[in-house]
Amino acid sequence: MEALTTFAQLLASGLLTGLVFALVAVGLTLVYGVMDVVNFAHGEFLMLAMYAALGLALVGIGPLLGLPLVAIALFLFGIVVYRLFVRRLLAGPPEATVFGTFGLLVLLQGIAQAVFSSDFLSAPRPPFQGTIRFAGLAVSQATVVEGIGALLLTAGLYAFVEYTETGRAMRAVAEDRIAATLMGIDVQRINGLAFGMGAACVGAAGALLMLSYPVYPTAGASFALTAFVVVALGGFGSIQGALVGALLVGMLEVFGGYYLSPELKMVPVFLAYLVVVLLRPQGLLGRR
Amino acid sequence: MRPHLLALGAIVVVGLLAVAGVHDAVLLDLLFTLLLYAVLGQSWNWISGYAGNISFGHAIFFGCGAYAAALCVTHGLSPWLAFGLGALVAAALALVTGFPTLALRGHYFSIATIAVAALIDAFVRVSPWLGKANGFELPIAPGWANLQFAQKGPYVVLALALFALVQLATIGLERSRLGYYLRALRANHAAAASVGIDERRWKLIAFAWSAVMASAAGVLYAQYNLFVDPPSTIALAISIDIALIGVVGGIGTLWGPAVGALVYVVLAKGVALKFGGAGKGYDLVIYGAIICLIAALRPRGIVGTVVDAIRRRRGATA
Repeated sequence: MEALTTFAQLLASGLLTGLVFALVAVGLTLVYGVMDVVNFAHGEFLMLAMYAALGLALVGIGPLLGLPLVAIALFLFGIVVYRLFVRRLLAGPPEATVFGTFGLLVLLQGIAQAVFSSDFLSAPRPPFQGTIRFAGLAVSQATVVEGIGALLLTAGLYAFVEYTETGRAMRAVAEDRIAATLMGIDVQRINGLAFGMGAACVGAAGALLMLSYPVYPTAGASFALTAFVVVALGGFGSIQGALVGALLVGMLEVFGGYYLSPELKMVPVFLAYLVVVLLRPQGLLGRR
Repeated sequence: MRPHLLALGAIVVVGLLAVAGVHDAVLLDLLFTLLLYAVLGQSWNWISGYAGNISFGHAIFFGCGAYAAALCVTHGLSPWLAFGLGALVAAALALVTGFPTLALRGHYFSIATIAVAALIDAFVRVSPWLGKANGFELPIAPGWANLQFAQKGPYVVLALALFALVQLATIGLERSRLGYYLRALRANHAAAASVGIDERRWKLIAFAWSAVMASAAGVLYAQYNLFVDPPSTIALAISIDIALIGVVGGIGTLWGPAVGALVYVVLAKGVALKFGGAGKGYDLVIYGAIICLIAALRPRGIVGTVVDAIRRRRGATA
């Protein structure tokens, strides 16, 4: 009986952890899907969003009220970064986007370190700090809020890409850039929008993550590393895939941490990545 | 080929003169770091520049050498053995991890190298015989037999020798069948395969040699620093430094890694020294900005841009 309760508890924690990962991964997969760019600075966008959310918390604007503000700020930031920087990378050789976004990672981490120092900062008196108990299981309110946020965000993004005119244009660009241009789609505009939306997703994620995580200059990096694995598992470019991949990775991490050791919690995650890219390179739900 | 050999000879002579004439420990330290990074950058360049598989896990091979040295010394063996031992382990690791992953394209390969490096990092951290997270402190016992010196000069000489060896090997690579095949694979793997170039075979060979070079640098590093632990040898941050050095100088060029290492040491370390410690992030800001600028404006790196300009001029006059 006790083993069963433990298992159920791990399952619940795994699913909620997975939803937190989904929160970070959806933006990454959207950008990849539309313009074939793996944004290695994705985690640093998250880190900036967390600092922004922290700043809002310090002037009394809570995470839920601050969420749209941070998302809009990151959306604009993403568009600026695309216009000034990523657009040029796309014109260069394919490896330029890999190391260009990596350079952005280093730059943003450096700026954060210079401005905010390396201290761990937490939001003052964040809401949702209680624990929910249900049928012998205990989960923190904050992770439930984050999980609901992840589901809403994923659903919203999916609906946007599937059912709006702009979303259709994004899918067209993803499928065939040249054909999309010939159909009168402004590829640069769509790319910029997609990059901005990817950043906005991480903006929303950053506001929610401040409920339960501290922020520091490399805070985003570990989330981003997991997000790469999540996106590869689910299939680069697939939004549903990111959700499925995230739940899987969350589960692997929680079960791995419990049954192996906390130090080794990432081992099953990375093993899963290697197995999937080698056996099914398009990911679980991705198209070739 | 001759101008490259002359340039290399000049660098060796200048390096030796510097060792003879300079007694400032800080300068010699920078010189050693510069040469070590130039070797690591070139090692990375073999697989990521010439072969075109961008690796973000190259520090594991550096770690092979560093840990080989630490294990030799702590088990009462000569650290000179570590060059052979580290090379064997590094080459084996390259073959085992490269066999399945080298055929992956673009970011799939890059993320796979991060995953492999993270797994090895975790493995070291739970292995008591590898010192777990604490690592190894090497006992102080200067002397050529122990590959350990009270002064920095001999270390610089050894690093210079290793650098010269690696540059010679790369000059050879550029003129060898392996070099031509790698560049053909990088330019268009399907076209290369269609004329019978076995991608996996040639990339594995390049990967193994690349690992051996990085491992030799690791041995020197361990003997110089006398301390080896995961964050200083196999961590992701080290892998990223190695990759960025290769990129800044110009990937797939003979002198790119050396130029990249120079930029890295002068800017990153110089700025860190001037503004007090590396913890303030100024070095990262400058270094990150340089990489962004190069990626956006000159994606072939410093040396690649110069080479292009020379070719254009020659093309114009011919």
